[in-house]
Amino acid sequence: MARAPTTFDPFNAIAEPKRRALIEVLAGREMTVNQIVQRVGWNQPTVSKHLGVLKQVGIVSERKEGRHRVYNVNAAQLKPIKEWVVQFEQFWNHSLDQLEDYLNELQSKGVQDE
Amino acid sequence: MNKHNRSTVEPIVLTREFNAPRQLVFEAWTQVEHLKNWQFPQQGFSCHYVSADIRPGGSTLHKMTAPNGHEMWLLTKYEEVNPPASLVFRQYDSNEAGEILPNPHMPNWPKELRATVRLEEQDGKTHLEFVWQPVDPTEEQAKAFEAARAQLGGGWGGSFEQLAAYLETL
Repeated sequence: MARAPTTFDPFNAIAEPKRRALIEVLAGREMTVNQIVQRVGWNQPTVSKHLGVLKQVGIVSERKEGRHRVYNVNAAQLKPIKEWVVQFEQFWNHSLDQLEDYLNELQSKGVQDE
Repeated sequence: MNKHNRSTVEPIVLTREFNAPRQLVFEAWTQVEHLKNWQFPQQGFSCHYVSADIRPGGSTLHKMTAPNGHEMWLLTKYEEVNPPASLVFRQYDSNEAGEILPNPHMPNWPKELRATVRLEEQDGKTHLEFVWQPVDPTEEQAKAFEAARAQLGGGWGGSFEQLAAYLETL
């Protein structure tokens, strides 16, 4: 694999809002660069630049179809990100929800026991 | 501020207010009979502790089981336990033997994160502050963490919720 000056991992790759937007646009469908440009409204070099980073970490893959290249999301590469989301954004927030429910339950039991 | 100083990485902070006295909230964080009832992200999960020694230098090993049967082991190492005000720990993905698992997919993610839980009581309610901070991150790890913090702070936003929903279908 070619080494780039900046080491991207899937997380770095999606830290950029435009790249997250690209992933969303491509999720579950194949599109050419032109289709993506029309859809998101950015210029073609911008789209290509961000697609390049996503390709580099394997989140987006491309294949040739006739004269065009079509891009889609490589779901397997998103799994580490899913794990990240679960671990950091959802895990503790949701666990704190559980703690809140549990504390409320504990205390209402306490009242009933008295 | 010196950006090259590793200790200046800003933490990720979550805050909550619980309608419960501080002592009870602290016990919920430090007693297995409580922990097993809430340390999971949603209803339908179960939580089982195979070992627990919650004191400075001690550790716990527990397993979360998702409704689909997927198991996730977590090793927690406690650094500070100061009843009823605070505790500090590090948590790791592990296997059932308590051996820490590396994350090969995310080379730039900080290898270690320290969590600090601070509790303050006011008018019978408890304010909780949950702070995540990388431990001795390299410059690249610090950057990845900064990006994460910025996203959390600004919200991954509605767009990210859709991505998360899509990921759920994988």
